[in-house]
Amino acid sequence: MANLVGAFAASHGPIIARDWETMAKDHRNRLAAGFDEIGRRLKACRPDLLVVISPDHWVNFFISNLPAVCIGLGEEHDGPPEPFMQKVFPRERLKGHAAFGRHLLETALERDFEPALSHRLKLDHGTCIPLWRIGVDAELPIVPIIVNDLEEPMPSIRRCLAWGRLLRQAIESYPEPLRVAVLGTGGLSHSIGEPTMGWIDEEFDHACIRHFADGEDARLAAFLTEALPRTGNGAHEIRDWVVAHAAAGSQGFELIDYFPSPQTLVGAGFASWRVAAAA
Amino acid sequence: MTDYWVSKLFFDLQHDAKLAAEYRADMPAVLERYAIKPDIRKALIEDDVGKIAPLVNAYLLRFYFQIRGMPQDEFIARLHALKAGKGKVDG
Repeated sequence: MANLVGAFAASHGPIIARDWETMAKDHRNRLAAGFDEIGRRLKACRPDLLVVISPDHWVNFFISNLPAVCIGLGEEHDGPPEPFMQKVFPRERLKGHAAFGRHLLETALERDFEPALSHRLKLDHGTCIPLWRIGVDAELPIVPIIVNDLEEPMPSIRRCLAWGRLLRQAIESYPEPLRVAVLGTGGLSHSIGEPTMGWIDEEFDHACIRHFADGEDARLAAFLTEALPRTGNGAHEIRDWVVAHAAAGSQGFELIDYFPSPQTLVGAGFASWRVAAAA
Repeated sequence: MTDYWVSKLFFDLQHDAKLAAEYRADMPAVLERYAIKPDIRKALIEDDVGKIAPLVNAYLLRFYFQIRGMPQDEFIARLHALKAGKGKVDG
């Protein structure tokens, strides 16, 4: 049986990659410290596989065909297509894990979830900025779960919680003794391409952090369902944190750091969950 | 209301560097290939952020104006000039 050995979440944003070398040193150092700490904790988990939950920034999907959730079950995936990413993370291919991807898909279908599937995804900055900054080993297989965080209507928070629990069930029913970590990417609040662009909603961010720490799923879902329509559109990526949170059993949240990052247009958050099964 | 063809144009420009170069050189020629209404075509040619913004996903909008070469500060200022429907702007 496989085990969940770690659960993590980190923000992303194109400017982190674009302006990494030129941004103010203090700011870069604080971002780096958040990513580095996740990298340290991830390495300590000694994972055999990393499940990454992230949005797709119009790289794989368009409004002609836009899944709510898509599981990547390929033997490998394509690296980031964005030129600004290729400068800092020039990986053309990322190793996948077809067997676990298929097991996750089958587990989902058996439990009446109907995700899309992809045998080859392009993993954009949403996935690859955290991988780059965390320093994930190129040999660590990735199973991507793409969640529609960008175009309304989006999956409900209740469903994202259910996805997290399902992911945990899939991990624990996988027959091989894999050590599996999960990473949710995106958030916290930000506002992109809308009249509030640049707005970082610290009140929302601190409330999210409190709700993750409280570990009460119903209250977390109620809060996000009510608050998300009132804050910036980028905050919808909190769904990816919610999946990681529920996979971890909705407990053990540890905030590594949070600070508003107007330089990168995001409420920068870094977190992990204490996972009981970790050994 | 989402405009499919404006969205498709923005999506294609994001995925095709040659098309993006062609668009920079000759916008009307590229626009001819998309079923975009005349008033929207005019808004595109005039970089009318306010007219285009309600028609496309906000992330595609951001990418499009990067392709157009609009500096981020100017793009944000033009968005802020629109009546914000929610919250205050800190950024």
